[in-house]
Amino acid sequence: MTVSILLLTHEDMGAALIATAHHILGRMALTVEAHAIPPGTDVDSALRETVAHARKLDAGDGVLVLTDVYGATPSNVAEKLRIAGPEIRRVSGLNLPMLLRVLNYADQPLAELAQTAALGGRTGIRIDDA
Amino acid sequence: MLERDITISNKLGLHARASAKLVQLLQGFKCNAFLVYRGREINAKSIMGVMMLAAGIGSTITLRTDGDDEERAMNEMAALFERKFDEGA
Repeated sequence: MTVSILLLTHEDMGAALIATAHHILGRMALTVEAHAIPPGTDVDSALRETVAHARKLDAGDGVLVLTDVYGATPSNVAEKLRIAGPEIRRVSGLNLPMLLRVLNYADQPLAELAQTAALGGRTGIRIDDA
Repeated sequence: MLERDITISNKLGLHARASAKLVQLLQGFKCNAFLVYRGREINAKSIMGVMMLAAGIGSTITLRTDGDDEERAMNEMAALFERKFDEGA
């Protein structure tokens, strides 16, 4: 399985997360690219560009799209990718633990990797005992 | 099944890069591998599992391997801790 990963965010936090994951892991087990949709961007052109990026990124087993916050424009654009783009799964609430866990389970198929991402994002959030 | 206790000796403890090195080392083995710390047992092939231990310098943890190549995995895992994850300190 060679699922590709697209980080779809408002600003360039995707690139920063990729740089951090690279620093931690040394080598990346999957192709990960970032695509930013800055506030104020025309939605139609953002969708066209994102579709093109996702198609280019797809190596045949689909693209896992990780977006920063559910309901915001990057996440809504990802939803529309289902119609126009390659096979995708969308997971919202991107954080570094989510990305690290995805790269830890690089051999999983797309649907399973989406579950892996969600669990990684959730378990990465900890609250200290009082 | 093999078990060995080890004291973490690198300055930064089981931080992100050290955790990644451990996980990447163990991915080359068939056996299951676990770390036990403060009563919690985690899958040592899981980077989030290892990092969530937040085990610092001076912590004593139990390494556990179970499966075909458990002895070699245990030796290499223990060696990585003893080499301070090749961090020099």
